Amino acid sequence: MESDLLREQISNMRQSLFVEEILEYQFLQLEQLQDNENPNFLQEIMTLYFRESPKTIAIIDQALEEHFNFPGLYKYLHQLKGSSASIGANKVTKEINQALECFKEGDIQGCKGAVQRLKQEHNILRNRLQSYFQLLRQIKIC
Amino acid sequence: MGAAVDHVTPMGMSGGSAEGNDKSEGQRFSCKSKLTALVADNGGVCRAIQTALLRSYGVDTEAVETGEAAVELIASGATFNLIIIEMLLPFMNGPETAKQIRAMGAESKILGITAFFDERDQQEFLAAGADDFIEKPLSPEIVIPIIRELDN
Repeated sequence: MESDLLREQISNMRQSLFVEEILEYQFLQLEQLQDNENPNFLQEIMTLYFRESPKTIAIIDQALEEHFNFPGLYKYLHQLKGSSASIGANKVTKEINQALECFKEGDIQGCKGAVQRLKQEHNILRNRLQSYFQLLRQIKIC
Repeated sequence: MGAAVDHVTPMGMSGGSAEGNDKSEGQRFSCKSKLTALVADNGGVCRAIQTALLRSYGVDTEAVETGEAAVELIASGATFNLIIIEMLLPFMNGPETAKQIRAMGAESKILGITAFFDERDQQEFLAAGADDFIEKPLSPEIVIPIIRELDN
């Protein structure tokens, strides 16, 4: 049946997000917070994350280009790390940690490299989750 | 890439769920007493997740974006069993917020929370009156023991 195939597709997609370490355990915690009172909690959180995080990344990116010692750089890395870790964005969080380590050591090139990788992982996460949630919406319709 | 798994199992876990509200197993931890909490975090995502997590355990939770708002709320007479305060709040930071809350005589359990654990931040927060200091994310493993302690 079509819905069975869809469920299998969803399961495989979800599985791959963990096997590839794009997501980690914290994401499961968010799923468990979804219930009858908050049926769309997970998607709402992800929508919020992908609304806020690109702005923060853009500020970090610009700050690195213009002024490495920008006092707010640490603050924005901190904020991005907090939200990324809280949704279970494993690879994104790792690159933020790397960026911070480089920042602390005064390694501007290292920091820039980590931020570029962070942007890539962020895009991968967004695209993969968009596909995943799209399938979830389809199964609700079936 | 990676190992195939029969079902989604979090990396590093052997199976089964951590203590928490695992609805699939029909288990639900909830506080016995009427507990209240305040979350002070300027990040929308973190604020929403922390609030939802506490509420899922039956804790009546409010959330604010700034230290000033937290202090104002408590100054107005609101009391909370648990207050979770982000380290890098804008303007009045986490430790200063905790200090002002303690200065008002609040006996709440105060948990300082941060994205990047730093010992100096920990010392500052504890000196300001926080009871503990942890790195995000806030998880059931951290929250449930706190709730049990407050419940007793």
